[in-house]
Amino acid sequence: MTPPAPATRHALRTEPLDKRVVAATRSVILVGNPNVGKSVVFGALTGTYVTVSNYPGTTVEVTRGTATLAGQPWHVMDTPGTNNLTPMSEDEQVTRDILMKERDYVCVQVCDAKNLRRGLLLTAQLAEAGVPFALALNMADEAASRGFHIDVAQLTQALGVDVVPTVAIERKGLAQLTSGLGAARRSGFTPRYDDAIEAALAEVEPLLPAKGGLSRRAVALMALVGDDSLREHLAANIAEVDLARLEDARRRLAARYPESLRFVVSKQRLAAVDRLHDAVVTRSRVSAASTFARRLGAWSTDRFLGLPVLAFVLFVSYEFVGVFGAKTAVDFLENAVFYDRLVPWTEAFLRWAVPWKGAQEFLVGPAGVPFREHAGFIVGRYGLFSMGLSYGVAIVLPIVTTFFIAFSILEDSGYLPRLAVMVNRTFKSMGLNGKAVLPMVLGLGCDTMATMTARIMETRKERVIVTLLLALGVPCSAQMAVILAMVAGLSLAATAWFAGSVVATLILVGWLAAKVLPGRGSDFILELPPLRVPQAGNVAVKTLARIEWYLREALPLFILGTLILYALDRVHGIGLLERAAAPVVVGLLQLPKEAAVAFILGFLRRDYAAAGLFLHYQPFMKAGTMTREMQIEVVVALTTITLFIPCIANFFMVLKERGWKTGVAIAAFILPFSLAVGATVNALMRWLY
Amino acid sequence: MPALVKRMERCPLCGAEFDAEGQGCRPSCPMATGCKVICCPSCRYSFPQETGLAGRLKAFLERRRTHP
Repeated sequence: MTPPAPATRHALRTEPLDKRVVAATRSVILVGNPNVGKSVVFGALTGTYVTVSNYPGTTVEVTRGTATLAGQPWHVMDTPGTNNLTPMSEDEQVTRDILMKERDYVCVQVCDAKNLRRGLLLTAQLAEAGVPFALALNMADEAASRGFHIDVAQLTQALGVDVVPTVAIERKGLAQLTSGLGAARRSGFTPRYDDAIEAALAEVEPLLPAKGGLSRRAVALMALVGDDSLREHLAANIAEVDLARLEDARRRLAARYPESLRFVVSKQRLAAVDRLHDAVVTRSRVSAASTFARRLGAWSTDRFLGLPVLAFVLFVSYEFVGVFGAKTAVDFLENAVFYDRLVPWTEAFLRWAVPWKGAQEFLVGPAGVPFREHAGFIVGRYGLFSMGLSYGVAIVLPIVTTFFIAFSILEDSGYLPRLAVMVNRTFKSMGLNGKAVLPMVLGLGCDTMATMTARIMETRKERVIVTLLLALGVPCSAQMAVILAMVAGLSLAATAWFAGSVVATLILVGWLAAKVLPGRGSDFILELPPLRVPQAGNVAVKTLARIEWYLREALPLFILGTLILYALDRVHGIGLLERAAAPVVVGLLQLPKEAAVAFILGFLRRDYAAAGLFLHYQPFMKAGTMTREMQIEVVVALTTITLFIPCIANFFMVLKERGWKTGVAIAAFILPFSLAVGATVNALMRWLY
Repeated sequence: MPALVKRMERCPLCGAEFDAEGQGCRPSCPMATGCKVICCPSCRYSFPQETGLAGRLKAFLERRRTHP
């Protein structure tokens, strides 16, 4: 929760409020969506005499204070921002529990006047809960400057409660808001649901206890949608036989809909909110640009129109990352900077600084021999500088930098959450749980973190499936960057073979998962920020932060990978590995024997493995002399490496999150499965391509 | 443990504002030490905290916005 914000000195003079510490008998609870200025309202009402404590049994902070409002003493409580009284997070549960357990209170709902639709969704739930409240349309000045006109009189009439436009930071409207709190009313704006839901509510409501801060209808709705956080409260307050009847009613109702009940109830509630919103909000001075942005935003979440938008985004990213980053920038850094200057300079410096011939040869090899033909420790075939740093800085860094720029632009433009919504629909049509989309989209950033995100799935089976899909076929940002670089050297048909193979594998495994799992789904709610032109400063900061993170995390592993290769080379282990893996790599996948090393080192970092392959084919890509055979090899190698066992960080996270048995089982499945898919793609391409 | 700076952060995906303390990588991740990646408690989106050079650039841009 945001700490209470002090009002400005100017504001203090305009509308003074009494902020003495008082003994109060009634409470006012501030509720609202996140980031709507609730804490500013709280600070303006209570001043500095506040207590901040964790809500019992949680790490969520709740702030309490006192105030004299309209001559009466009040306790004031600030709650964590919430979008829903049927909680989906610990913060939301704390807010719901406060409203359920407190007695004799009134609420002030603070909503963002610029985003009234989101606020009204919570208003509808407060109305359902039978809570007396007043509605503050905060940031009313910003809403007006953006052309929003809210018909306050009509909204007041529709809701049946006080509605007051406010600018909390300037204390405008707060006196009017608090003056009527003593007579705050319950709202009559109670959405009606379809007949089946209303019948189930009528059946369940009498089973619930009358005591509590929320109405029976609101608690019945929470119970019907399967709110697990309510289980303890229900078990403590109603008989076991009634609990069984409630569960029976819930199951019968759930069986009527293909979607989850939470989704159905939210959708019908949203329809009622939309009708009210459209009746009271008008927007003037809408520019052509913002109309286009809204239209584009709507297209990008549409399951059909979203595809060309996604194709356009991928094409531009490919041109920028694959063509500019992987060709122009890599060529410059690798040849003009590293091999033509830095490597010879380092070699010359070490020969000058280390006068002993034996030590010189160990570090930079014999004089006059090209570095790729000797085994120098710093400059050599597997030298820390000539290979480790050139992989990390000259080859992968320009590629990931261009990718990070593209990713930051997408992030700052507001497209990413829309992508999540669009893919969510596709996932649902595959029979997958809608919630699964979030870790899958996040996996494009970092699979390790996304594996942790699988915790949001409801059952262990679902978490295992999401973990498996992440480890199997979702490339992380660094690997995606190198993939885009390699794809740039392929024909369109070969690219389609690669993308099709990975997507088809994911769909196949997802489809099998849908067969294994029961059909019950759940949803995630993601607020869509407006689509906007990305700010250059924001993009620069985000990109720089990601580059720093990449250098800190990836470079040491690149050096470690090179050390392993160097050691293997000295003991002739590379040849041994290549011979041992030859039946699979050369025989089954029909790849060059050097690919075996790339696969094995891919366990350190997947992009390291992909970079090794990139370097192998780079001269042919640059010269435009990729043969049909090579195109097939690149597609097979990329497909296999994308589906191959996860990197070491991800593997450890899988072990920690799912347990070592499941982790090892996932790796044991993925290893032969990825090779089998690679072999199948190889066979099919040689037949059809 | 993660090397995150304690301050309020806004998630670039869902817009939630939260305290970065305790929202870093978990100890089970072998890369957790010194890691600056934050995980949003609302939607679980992960992103690197803008400190170091990025933090300085951010502060510079904010100064320019405030005092053009």
